[in-house]
Amino acid sequence: MSSKVTNRIALSVIILCACILVGTLAALLGYILVQGVTSISWDFLTSPSSPFMAGGGIKDQLWNSLYVLIITMILTVPIGVCGGIYLAEYARPGKLTSFIRSCVEVLASLPSIVVGMFGMLIFVNYFGWRYSVLSGALALTVFNLPVIVRVTEDGFRSLPRHQKEGGLALGLTHWHTIKTILLPAAFPSILTGIILSAGRVFGESAALLFTAGLTTPNLDFTNWNPSAPNSPLNMFRSAETLSVHIWSVNTSGIIPDIEKVANGSAAVLVICVLLFNLFARAVGKMINQKLSGRH
Amino acid sequence: MIEMESSLLSFAKASEKETSVLIQVKDVDIYYGENHAVRQVNMPIHERSITALIGPSGCGKSTFIRTINRMNDLIPTARCEGHIDYHGINILSPKVDVVKLRKEIGMVFQQPNPFPKTISENIQLPLKFAGVRNKRKLKDVTEQCLKQVTLWDEVKDRLDRSATGLSGGQQQRLCIARALALKPGVILLDEPTSALDPVSTAKIEELLLQLKKDYTIVIVTHNMQQAARIADYTAFFYQGELVEFGTTKKLFTQPEKKDTADYIAGRFG
Repeated sequence: MSSKVTNRIALSVIILCACILVGTLAALLGYILVQGVTSISWDFLTSPSSPFMAGGGIKDQLWNSLYVLIITMILTVPIGVCGGIYLAEYARPGKLTSFIRSCVEVLASLPSIVVGMFGMLIFVNYFGWRYSVLSGALALTVFNLPVIVRVTEDGFRSLPRHQKEGGLALGLTHWHTIKTILLPAAFPSILTGIILSAGRVFGESAALLFTAGLTTPNLDFTNWNPSAPNSPLNMFRSAETLSVHIWSVNTSGIIPDIEKVANGSAAVLVICVLLFNLFARAVGKMINQKLSGRH
Repeated sequence: MIEMESSLLSFAKASEKETSVLIQVKDVDIYYGENHAVRQVNMPIHERSITALIGPSGCGKSTFIRTINRMNDLIPTARCEGHIDYHGINILSPKVDVVKLRKEIGMVFQQPNPFPKTISENIQLPLKFAGVRNKRKLKDVTEQCLKQVTLWDEVKDRLDRSATGLSGGQQQRLCIARALALKPGVILLDEPTSALDPVSTAKIEELLLQLKKDYTIVIVTHNMQQAARIADYTAFFYQGELVEFGTTKKLFTQPEKKDTADYIAGRFG
């Protein structure tokens, strides 16, 4: 076979794979959006869900999803980034380091239902935080932390070596080189990793079933005192998130408009993840430009 | 062959004058793990002059230059024995504060490595770390350094643009300017022009001849013509050993060792 023919075949196979990928994605997104968009209305987004009557909304669930996501990110990003920097820059290669690294990998690939059970045993039962925002966020931390560690380490490792040498050769300390040169340079790839993991956290349900719970108290969105039991900011109240809501409505819902609520919630979930990605990318681009100057 | 050598030397310094020794290298051995990369190097580095290290690839010249400001500390398996005396201090001593040392002995690398920041930040970064806060002072030093490397006129209108947008030659001059910001005593250059085109190379060579009035310069080059054009002293490395050291003129016209003669005549390497 001539190399030209081989080249053609390889190219066709790659294009075919790309088409399958894009086609699947488009079909899936299209299905969810077409099915769900009609059920989305301002009323749907801003009214609380109803346990047995038709016409319930998803206000509380949407808020809970965002709130759990934010708490999880506050817990994981700083620790994860520091851990990644440690592994990439300070850890001496050896048995201990590779042991830590494989622990991180195993932790990142744990099935989320297992993480959920672990969260229930530790945070819900042992620490007695019950089904709560905090228990949920901590359970999500268990599998999100290693992901952030991983993307940070990879971001640092993919930087050209001469950047680090350049900093050290100017008489900067190792830490100052990391802080002022390497971290800003690795920022775009770390941000991409954070966005991807945030999408996963936002859509997670299995790990939250037994940690954040299947119910939400009647939230009073005018009461922002974090210690009040019905405050949206209270971390020790149970919090059914959007994806858990989809699951619970579908499996055990007794409302007459199950399909409408489930489809609408799914569409909102997908749209939120998309918006979140776009927003984070825009912010990332802005920060990157500020750090590195206009081209 | 002799003709070629003498034409090379028509560029070399006519005004060769003895200068005092700033760095004395004594019995330096460098190992990478089991590999004995550099053996028993003894040579002086003269103040306010250009010393070139030449030799074929893998001869240990880069390894050696990276020892002078302890950049080899970054390589966990690298180990160094012997003395490099600088102002009466042994640079290789574990007691030396490498951060201070590298402020005193700057380095420019083969691949231009501007930081992905603005042009002025590239120069101000080491200054800010050294504690300079005064905006006026930072601006003045930036201008002064960029003028020293003849980059000022090319970039003065885009100091707040990213340095990675500059051409390769401009980036390398920026890296030299950055190394000058801290007013080091010595500047080490590890093949600074091997990634550049001939015009940029010529600019850098001209620049180095200017800079040697104020700085002591050590340059690694695989380009013999370059050594002949700009260096006052030349050291020839081969297979991890310093084969011969002398004034550039002497090394290129009357080499004492056969290996040196063969190398500069282009018979190997």
